[in-house]
Amino acid sequence: MSPGHYLALSAILFTIGALGVLVRRNAIVVFMCIELMLNATNLAFVSFSRMHGNLDGQIIAFFVMVVAAAEVVVGLAIIMTIFRTRRSSSVDDVNLLKY
Amino acid sequence: MDLYVPIIVLGVLAFAFAAGSVAMAAVTGPKRWNRAKLEAYECGIEPTPQPVGGGRFPIKYYLTAMLFIVFDIEIIFLYPWAVAFDRLGIFGLVEMVLFILTVLVAYAYIWRRGGLEWD
Amino acid sequence: MTSHVSAALAPGGDIPAPHIEYGQIMPILLVLGVAVAGVLVEAFVGRTWRYTVQVPLAFLGLAGGFAWTIVLGLRDETHAVAAEGALGVDGPTLFLQGTILILALVSLLLIADRGTGSFAAQAAALPGSEAEQRTTAAGIIQTEVFPLLMFAVGGMLIFPASNDLLTMFVGLEVMSLPLYLLCGLARRRRLLSQEAAVKYFLLGSFSSAFFLYGIALLYGYAGSVKLGDIAAEAGRDAGSETLLLGGIALLALGLLFKLGAVPFHMWKPDVYQGAPTPITALMASCTLVSAFGAMLRVFFVAFENLTWEWRPAMWGVSIITMIAGAVIAITQTDIKRMLAYSSIAHAGFLLTGVIATSREGLSSTLFYLAAYGFTTVGAFAVVTTVRDAGGEAGHLSRWAGLGKRSPLIAGVFAFFLLAFAGIPLTSGFTGKFAVFKAAVEADATPLVVVGVISSAIAAFFYVRVIVVMFFSEPEADGPTVVVSPATAAAVVLGLAATVVLGVLPQPVLDLAGHAATQMFVR
Repeated sequence: MSPGHYLALSAILFTIGALGVLVRRNAIVVFMCIELMLNATNLAFVSFSRMHGNLDGQIIAFFVMVVAAAEVVVGLAIIMTIFRTRRSSSVDDVNLLKY
Repeated sequence: MDLYVPIIVLGVLAFAFAAGSVAMAAVTGPKRWNRAKLEAYECGIEPTPQPVGGGRFPIKYYLTAMLFIVFDIEIIFLYPWAVAFDRLGIFGLVEMVLFILTVLVAYAYIWRRGGLEWD
Repeated sequence: MTSHVSAALAPGGDIPAPHIEYGQIMPILLVLGVAVAGVLVEAFVGRTWRYTVQVPLAFLGLAGGFAWTIVLGLRDETHAVAAEGALGVDGPTLFLQGTILILALVSLLLIADRGTGSFAAQAAALPGSEAEQRTTAAGIIQTEVFPLLMFAVGGMLIFPASNDLLTMFVGLEVMSLPLYLLCGLARRRRLLSQEAAVKYFLLGSFSSAFFLYGIALLYGYAGSVKLGDIAAEAGRDAGSETLLLGGIALLALGLLFKLGAVPFHMWKPDVYQGAPTPITALMASCTLVSAFGAMLRVFFVAFENLTWEWRPAMWGVSIITMIAGAVIAITQTDIKRMLAYSSIAHAGFLLTGVIATSREGLSSTLFYLAAYGFTTVGAFAVVTTVRDAGGEAGHLSRWAGLGKRSPLIAGVFAFFLLAFAGIPLTSGFTGKFAVFKAAVEADATPLVVVGVISSAIAAFFYVRVIVVMFFSEPEADGPTVVVSPATAAAVVLGLAATVVLGVLPQPVLDLAGHAATQMFVR
């Protein structure tokens, strides 16, 4: 397994995540897809770190994990608030603001 | 073999801590009989039949999950420090203390504003 | 390859402690320190005292940061990197940071205004529930707003100063995460506000995932995330071009999203309309300044040798941003939404300064950002004053005849609109003139032609609002104008800056030019 394979896997995971954001309806699932994209990025960072032989990429992966965790918390709080107001977490229902 | 001594010591300590905690609880904890204690264990909540579609969880679980994620993941920065703490010297120690203090500020906020109360 | 990694991990001598120039990054540290102190205040100060403690604390933090930035700017050696090369302290950065801090101070006047009460008493209480009525009746004021604001401003200061992409990403998130929350805190029309927060959050984190993947590709290309290293590697013309170009594209996507450039603008009208108006003022001024600062730094430092690669795409983005912003704004009936589309069009005008990639382009963009920031804060401050029973009167038809009911406020708003349109003797004209001049000198004349045409289109809907205000009959149950002292101060500051930068722009133009002389540090 060369690092190239990991890069390909990372690109595939990122694409699946991006596609998921575009096609899924449930805000929580959309959000999980965004997390998948961030984790795919982590895989790319770690693979590039291995290819270049420096540790920058691995340290960046730490930071990305922490940022992703903070994002999860903020996101869950926001989605939970609107779910309580509307009793639905479908992004199709978020339609008051348009045009 | 010398390499494994710390791991063995750690294992012994971990076992001693677990066994000690159970023993301590048996000795010091209050013993009140309760029907719920004899029932099947479901994460501490009352066993209920599974509702259709998985049912809904109380919003409280989200709060707990959010707090757990934040405080669990922030500690990731301790890992690189733990690997090289002796080589980082006093500067690393001071930075880590500052970092933990910042996390403690968030903890103090949650504690004072009732985020840790279950009901 | 493995040997490199293990060499870095092998036990050895002490790792030298990094050298942090605390004095040079003090504005950032001060603002973030005040944010942490604000969280402690929330934890340990009684409910009745929180507002009284938080407001002066936030004012002192922002004003102190601004004063320190000026002191830094007055020194001679304003061209250095701080914190082991993570942050740049140079002319453009200090200008941007000073602008962000002063605009944040003006926005704080709006946010801290108790009279307008823009924020929900308790964000967790369900809209329309008994708990909500109870907290509102008890006169409880949301004070978490202040620490959140300070965190957001701290992120805004880091974002344009960051000299490597990791710091930039962290700055971006520190700026964005509090803003997502602040958007959902409106006291009235709460569902709209929460919807704005959800949209901003989902789209914002989607775009920052692309931004991050761009960083990963550039790291793969250059083996480093430092902007200078990427520029050096690109100058050598070695390595994989796929990684480089992919990285530029994804990084630009993330930055353009934060600016609200077409086609990444869809969040902006929704969020500007739904968010509490003081927060909209903050986003329309400070976030825009910060995002443009980061954009300028990335494209002037890291990609300066690759102008031929990214310029055509930027041309396209700039043209459709200017045209789409102006054309869609014509059909708007909500005042905040109209200002949001106006902000999109202005992002397009500002992009022409980025495309110029010259010293003049940099200095004129800096000036434009400062001028536009003040005008937009003033305009949103006026929006908070026109109120009816349900809060702010957002719909344009409700503004009919405002000129007869309250000539002063309507006149001030008309002046702000003329400044947006770029009428001479307002700051909008000076800014646009400077940016377009720089673009012409950089051989981007077609862009300027499009810019002038779309300015003319934009002038149409600005004038339409003025006509509605002054030349139509007021409704019988029309909105009333309620001006509290803090909001009045914000309006006056915005007005003063718009007039001064329009009539006597030279000192600030010189300041921006002086800031831009040495360009960005690397």
